Amino acid sequence: MKGWIELMGCHVCAATPEGVPFVTVSRFARVTKPDQVSFVMEKGEIGVIEGAISKNPWIAFGVSKQGGIRAAFQFKGKGRVIRSGQELDALKKDAPGILADAVLVVDLTELYCTKPGAEAGQRLDIMAPDAMNAWEKARWTDIPGK
Amino acid sequence: MVTFTDEMKNALRVPGKGGSLIYMATSSLEGKPNIAAMRFVATHGNDKILVCDMFLLKTKMNLKENPECSIAICHPLDSGRDWVFKGKAIDIEYGFSPEFDWYGAKAKEILDMWGDWATLEPPKEVPPDIVFPKPAQRGVVVLHVEEIYSIEKGKTGERIQ
Repeated sequence: MKGWIELMGCHVCAATPEGVPFVTVSRFARVTKPDQVSFVMEKGEIGVIEGAISKNPWIAFGVSKQGGIRAAFQFKGKGRVIRSGQELDALKKDAPGILADAVLVVDLTELYCTKPGAEAGQRLDIMAPDAMNAWEKARWTDIPGK
Repeated sequence: MVTFTDEMKNALRVPGKGGSLIYMATSSLEGKPNIAAMRFVATHGNDKILVCDMFLLKTKMNLKENPECSIAICHPLDSGRDWVFKGKAIDIEYGFSPEFDWYGAKAKEILDMWGDWATLEPPKEVPPDIVFPKPAQRGVVVLHVEEIYSIEKGKTGERIQ
């Protein structure tokens, strides 16, 4: 999962408290903790979702490009936007092609399989980490970095 | 009112016919978002996107209570197809009245054309380790598009239509 997220970037979705979804793209993503993903975002990219996040922190995201089908996972958690500090500065250095305006930090709480078929919608974060790694390796042979 | 361009119509087809993989985003009424990739996609007229209801779970639950929906091009990205389509969607399932109308799209017309999508456009381009073992279509989601935005790098968030 880490390999796909960091290689492809992600499509990120937020919603207003009334349930209007907004989708943006982050072309630079880093797994910053085992249960946290941070997105370096340009002004327009964060602008699409920042209004919704300010009222409702829920975020859902999936891997962009071929990852939409090869990395069949949906990640959910609570997001916060940061515009200053060491966290932002460190990530900006790693993202030279991005005109960084902000970093979206998402603390993950839910993980789902989105592979079509019997396992579609299966919740995976209920597994122990080792079991989840084994589950992933048993199904995918082209995981980046593995 | 939006009008799809020819480029958009070409992009909003199954990948095996030169189209795109898409992300479909919905939300519960309480604002919990959901985003899932879809392969079976098509357009209907100049302002509607069709998506096959096959293995939909949260997406379906959300649409049952909240029609707000966004569809974004997932793959290929950064190749001139960087759009998000926003509007209101419904899942036209088998059993709907044939006369049911969603912003001008009739249930009978939609299901007659797209109700057996896996036969119409079989997933020949999908690798065998990903393709579903057996099609299980229950309907067709129809998104009535009201706004189109860019997700092109440097232009994300700009309204196109």
